[in-house]
Amino acid sequence: MRVFRLHVNGDPVEVAAPEHWTLLEVLRYQLGLTGSKQGCDKGDCGACTVLVDGTPTLSCLSLAATVEDQQITTIEGLLPAHRAAGGEGADPLQESFDESGALQCGFCQPGMILSAKALLAENPDPSAAEIKESLAGNLCRCTGYTQIYEAVLAAAKADMHAAISTDSAKEVQS
Amino acid sequence: MAARDQHGAEAPWDQGFRVVGKENRKVDGLSKATGEAIYTDDIQLPGMLHAKMLRSPHPHARVLSVDTSKAEALPGVVGVLVGAELPVRYGVIPWTPDETALAVDKVRFIGDEVAAVAAVDEDTANEALDLIEVEYEVLDAILDPEQALVTPEPPIHEDRKRRDNISKHVELEFGDVAAQVEDADVVIEGDYTFHSTTHAAIEPHCAVAQPNSDGRITLWSSTQITHYVHRALARVLELDPARIRVIQPCLGGGFGGKSDPFSLEFVVAQLALKTGRPVKMLWTREEVFYAHRGRHPMKMHYRTTAKADGTITGVDAKLLIDGGSYSSFGLVTTYYSGQLLTGPYAFPNYRFDSTRVFTNRPPNGPKRGHGSVQPRFAFEIQLDEVAEQLSIDPIEIRRRNFLGEHTETVNGQRVTSNGFMQCLEEVEKASDWRERRGKLPFGRGLGVAGSMYISGTNYPVYPNKMPQAGVQLKIDRSGLVTVFTGGNDIGQGSNSMVAYLVAEELGIKVEHVKVVAADTDLCPVDLGAYSSRVTFMVGNAAIDGARKLRKQIVEAVAKNWEVEPRDVRLMDGTVVDLSAEARSMTHVEAFHLAEEMFDTLGSTGAYNTPTLGGDYRGGTIGSSPAYSFTAHVADVEVDTETGRITVNKVWVAHDCGRALNPMIVRGQMEGSTYMGAAEVSLESHHLNRFGLHAGPSLLDYRIPTSVDTPELEALIVESIDPEGPFGAKEAGEGPLHSTIPAIANAVFDAVGIRLRHLPFTPAKVLAALRAKEEQA
Amino acid sequence: MLRLPKFEVKNPATAEEAVAMILEIEGDARFIAGGTDLNPNMKHGLFAPERVIALNGIGELQGIRLDEDGSMRIGAMATLAEVTKHAELNQFYPALCQAAKLVSGPQLRNMGTLGGNVMLDTRCQWYNQTYFWRKSLGYCMKKDGSKCHVVEGGSKCVAAASNDTAPALMTLNAELEFVTTEGRARLPIADLWQADGIWNKKLPHTALLVAIHLPKPAANSHGAYGKLRDRGSVDFPLFGIAARLNFGSDGTIEDAALCAVALQARPWPLKKAASLLIGTHPGKDDFNDAVEKVANLAAKQCRPMPNIPGDHEYRHLMVPVFTRRTLHAAASDEGPVHHV
Repeated sequence: MRVFRLHVNGDPVEVAAPEHWTLLEVLRYQLGLTGSKQGCDKGDCGACTVLVDGTPTLSCLSLAATVEDQQITTIEGLLPAHRAAGGEGADPLQESFDESGALQCGFCQPGMILSAKALLAENPDPSAAEIKESLAGNLCRCTGYTQIYEAVLAAAKADMHAAISTDSAKEVQS
Repeated sequence: MAARDQHGAEAPWDQGFRVVGKENRKVDGLSKATGEAIYTDDIQLPGMLHAKMLRSPHPHARVLSVDTSKAEALPGVVGVLVGAELPVRYGVIPWTPDETALAVDKVRFIGDEVAAVAAVDEDTANEALDLIEVEYEVLDAILDPEQALVTPEPPIHEDRKRRDNISKHVELEFGDVAAQVEDADVVIEGDYTFHSTTHAAIEPHCAVAQPNSDGRITLWSSTQITHYVHRALARVLELDPARIRVIQPCLGGGFGGKSDPFSLEFVVAQLALKTGRPVKMLWTREEVFYAHRGRHPMKMHYRTTAKADGTITGVDAKLLIDGGSYSSFGLVTTYYSGQLLTGPYAFPNYRFDSTRVFTNRPPNGPKRGHGSVQPRFAFEIQLDEVAEQLSIDPIEIRRRNFLGEHTETVNGQRVTSNGFMQCLEEVEKASDWRERRGKLPFGRGLGVAGSMYISGTNYPVYPNKMPQAGVQLKIDRSGLVTVFTGGNDIGQGSNSMVAYLVAEELGIKVEHVKVVAADTDLCPVDLGAYSSRVTFMVGNAAIDGARKLRKQIVEAVAKNWEVEPRDVRLMDGTVVDLSAEARSMTHVEAFHLAEEMFDTLGSTGAYNTPTLGGDYRGGTIGSSPAYSFTAHVADVEVDTETGRITVNKVWVAHDCGRALNPMIVRGQMEGSTYMGAAEVSLESHHLNRFGLHAGPSLLDYRIPTSVDTPELEALIVESIDPEGPFGAKEAGEGPLHSTIPAIANAVFDAVGIRLRHLPFTPAKVLAALRAKEEQA
Repeated sequence: MLRLPKFEVKNPATAEEAVAMILEIEGDARFIAGGTDLNPNMKHGLFAPERVIALNGIGELQGIRLDEDGSMRIGAMATLAEVTKHAELNQFYPALCQAAKLVSGPQLRNMGTLGGNVMLDTRCQWYNQTYFWRKSLGYCMKKDGSKCHVVEGGSKCVAAASNDTAPALMTLNAELEFVTTEGRARLPIADLWQADGIWNKKLPHTALLVAIHLPKPAANSHGAYGKLRDRGSVDFPLFGIAARLNFGSDGTIEDAALCAVALQARPWPLKKAASLLIGTHPGKDDFNDAVEKVANLAAKQCRPMPNIPGDHEYRHLMVPVFTRRTLHAAASDEGPVHHV
């Protein structure tokens, strides 16, 4: 056993777990953050994707012992972060995945949404090809991906729209 | 009778729909998007043990002894289980119970389950597996279905009436196919192969059992068939089923891969009873590949006869089906392989001769489009060949042979609504077929194919006259309606569908409906998510239950307002008075009035199929209350130097009766088409020369990533079925079928080669191109 | 879930400390960089170290920088994603960036490092499998057994080098900087390999790769990487080939290098074939003719074996196709050669 000092969804957490455990195991079975899924055991499917310092990372191939100094974001962290920033409802990506029908069985989607989240953070106005590329490590078996692309595009548009209205609001104020 | 009549003048319809036909969100969408939804492996119980399975390293062997003493002695091991402790046989089809939870006498494929260990953690359980000593007598393995056909010894299953390796044989003839050959203007005959593919749902199988102090047991399992698991558990555990509760949590994909009872369900239940502690077993991805139940590989021979105008006069089929090591749904598969080909085209003469054999391979079962994707592949290529010989446009030949609506197929299946002609028109238009087909540069082409599929069948897996689907509705004074249904939501959205229909029928908002599903203690029986039966059957049951409640609510409000019931209209959570005096109340107030008048409110709804099917043995297998129809056009490019087929785009038009939620229907159509396209060149459930799965991982079993998936365009066709819920039919499996032959036919248009043997690997494409060059 | 073996994790702060840690215990210990190769391999029971030494806290292993002499220093822990996006690397060493970009999928490139890709374990369909799977067949000579299932009766392991970036680094004459107990040493990458699939490197696993040095590029250097695989993402190479072409001021080829991968234990340089290109003029017939000759010679020298998944005869058919396409792509700066 080792006490891991992790930073998960903005919270500092100390958690004891066997030293050889992966980040995924610690998140799921010690912290109860079961939103990160396990589909393939070994880095082939992307269902376990979390953000480590904002970067999509396979938690099933990350040792908990190697991410102690980094900021980990799981799917459970998005809604509270959105609310903390003054938003309503869930994160715009979560809302748009729901609105676009991108959630069928939903098992791959926490990882998919986090990959999309990182993409939009880096590139707020991605092309269809860029979306495809950035999701090429997240296997989905239900949707044929089409409604996922629609969801990411819709979220990008909503984000841009929000940014523009904030900007114009600022302009009006000034 | 039209669909409108079936529902009655007072039921909401068309312009009057407030929920149906709209792109509503799913009832569980946000819970999945936020990580809140609970799947089986997300369940953790205090004191829970972790179980692991010991599997056979031999494809065929007798189990002489299993010594677990060293494993039991390992600190941390709490329970060990061997086959002799659970000897009762089961099988999803009650006529062919040939499985046991753990091997009792024999193992029949590499990966077959032999023993199980429950320990304080997974590492300890794994360590204990290595300490179990099994003595095997290795037997000859049969890995090839052709060999199985002619090799009765050793029989893979020894105590059946017949001593051979034939699992099921069906031969049916309608009309006289042989007589057509002489009069035919064209006869096309050929061999076709469909290889082995699997479901590869992203969630691996998992089960958790919790024993209760009163002797009851609860099982959470990633299953598509809660009710059959319930029955099988009672049988194998030899327990009163009333003491067993089976719950399906949120399910991470099924596609038919979770529609058998699986060994882990019995094993965790028995270990829980034995140890008195909760037990979980989560299969590794490798184990999921061994559990398999994937699409049956088939070797198919077809002969089609036609007249000069393209009219088909007869179809003669002989199929060899590789069943793998157990029966699973095999009886049904064998019938489906012939019974489901008789639309969307009419042919007056038809024969099929299907033989399913046992081999020492992981068991095959139902994968999306059960039993009928393979024959459809062969026949739609053959139909393309007929068109080519007769110089008829491939879409035109499909039109000329259209079966029609409100008619009967050659094998006696009643067909109601049929939107196939419109499907053809939609894909023809969207793909710009007339301008492009046959006119694209060498290397690029278009191909078409069509298909039909069932919306459930009237064959319940075990004979009974009770309803196939039931729901129960309960009303709360808050205005919340809770619907209890045995239906399994496997991601296809059936819980949402139930909520939409109940909301529509009761005139309330979707958010005022809560669906509790797939819990045998709470929900009335539904047979499960297979054969595309849920929308049709559970949907009709939901409408039935809601309609009964609506009648009471309307009556109570009418009495209160002193108006005729026909003047009371429920919509969007408001009850309005249509008579002269305009007034309204909330649905909550209306519920209160009804509760005052009728006491506590609740209702049940049920659905059973009408009597269907031909009057012959097997005539009810594949007979559906309604059939869906599909047409695909594929646009492909072939790199003649590498042999790689790139599918640029697939247009899929599907007649789903009525799209209860077009967004969800599109998702089913796109997902089906993606899955079909994946079977063309990428996916292969391949065994190596030892009979061991060559690559049981999501690395080596190549399911398409986003960049491997063609552009997909879904075109919904609504024929409004007279018996479907508000006119709906299935959309979850039909739209897979014709993807594959459409791509095969497009390859012919692109480079002039007829590929008849799946998978179309680049190597095969190159070889065919070379052979064509040599011929020329 | 597949389990990792029980080990302790050490987090050293310097390369020297890391090397001391790997040697100080008697049992097996392993360095872990991005974890994308070692972790699946440990889950398959291919390695069961008692100690895992995490390299992510070692400063000198990080970062990519241009040195004063015009050479590039890529820290061994620089991720494949960093390499892919690096402006100067893209400009001067395109084959490397293309190869890095075609490794697996996005998340794996975020985690996987260039050093890790160089040190990647060889792969084989009879080896990269679970403990149960391998045990069912009585194991193989690379791990726990003595047989070879690729070459029946074979006495040498033929597991395939499957690192996309290795052939690119070979064509670029990269130098590898290692720290061992002896101190620091630089080794031309061509000298790293040995023809043994069990361990295809001449240095033991206890040698720590700290940096990859790329010599200052020639003024007019072009390159490309070609990769054959089934899917457009995730998959290891079924065949890979890197090319570098240096153009003279008149546009003739002054120097050329070619190297293939996913054949046998070593990345496979094609020196003689590449030399046929020297003196030819890209865009003209003499170059095109030379490319055909190179492609045919490559097909003779590259003999894929049934070691990794896929039809090895087909892989062989693709050797000349990918060689030709990659050379043309290098000459016209249109790489990578890949189906997506």
